Amino acid sequence: MTPIQFILLSGLLFTALYFYVRFRNRVADVLLLLVFFATATVFILFPDWSNIVAHKLGVGRGADLVFYLCIVLFVFVVLKLYSRIRKLEQLLTELIREKTIEEAEKQD
Amino acid sequence: MQKSRIFIVIPVFNENNVLRETVLSLFHEGYRIVIVDDGSTENQKKYLENLEVDFLRHRINLGQGASLQTGTKFSLMQGADIIVHFDADGQHSAKDIPLLIEPLISRKADIVFGSRFLGESKNKIPFAKKIVLNIARYINFLFTGILLTDAHNGLRALTIDAAKTLTIKENRMAHASEILFWVKKKNLKYKEIPVQIIYTEYSKKKGQTIWQSIRILYDLILHKFFE
Repeated sequence: MTPIQFILLSGLLFTALYFYVRFRNRVADVLLLLVFFATATVFILFPDWSNIVAHKLGVGRGADLVFYLCIVLFVFVVLKLYSRIRKLEQLLTELIREKTIEEAEKQD
Repeated sequence: MQKSRIFIVIPVFNENNVLRETVLSLFHEGYRIVIVDDGSTENQKKYLENLEVDFLRHRINLGQGASLQTGTKFSLMQGADIIVHFDADGQHSAKDIPLLIEPLISRKADIVFGSRFLGESKNKIPFAKKIVLNIARYINFLFTGILLTDAHNGLRALTIDAAKTLTIKENRMAHASEILFWVKKKNLKYKEIPVQIIYTEYSKKKGQTIWQSIRILYDLILHKFFE
């Protein structure tokens, strides 16, 4: 095992454990994570396999394929988070607005 | 129409004594005045001493759009007939309000926008501002199909029915365009009326920079995506 394989695997293991502890009650999430971590482990242990997949998809290197997929995933996550933030902002606005109207005062 | 049923909503954020002058000019006309303090860090009530106005305060700063919506909602609850949005920085003139609300009273329009490009103050608009506003009106046109002469004028008047149909969700400055979305969506009758804009050093300081215009565009695109 090369040092980079060791670093990546331990990082992955740590993240997996962390998520498992937090989300163990949500079966679908845990399953999805399991698939994700299994794929990652396989490609870390057998980097050449990613090259084979990449070639089949018309990409030169396995590492490049992973990089491209990560960009797509990243954009997806950003949009998802953004829509969540917008919803939260609207909720916060509603709360503050209600409070404001409740506390409205006639001044003279 | 009773003037006390015409509500003037003024969003306020860290203003100075200009606020008092603005409120006084409206106060003498007999309108009901709703001040929405958008979480100012300085006490704003000191400018309103001895003036009978409704004072609302956001606990935190949410933006001008959110303040207008709060003031509008409050006015509806208090039984307003007409709601006018008015800037605190003294760039609008109280004398324009009767002209602005006339089409609402005669049922010719549901919402009336003030336009600085239709009136005499046209020639006083700073050059850079003119260009930005012109770009903005075409961007609004692209988004809504409505081409106004003035894209971001803070002076507008709505009937209660119009105010009830629209809810400003854009908390910051994109609300001016968002209102056009609503006009389009709910098929509201709209009209533009020439109004005066008084450019002072203070109103320029308080006004929008080019950078903020870019922020508005960004908010608009996201609005289209997520609404």
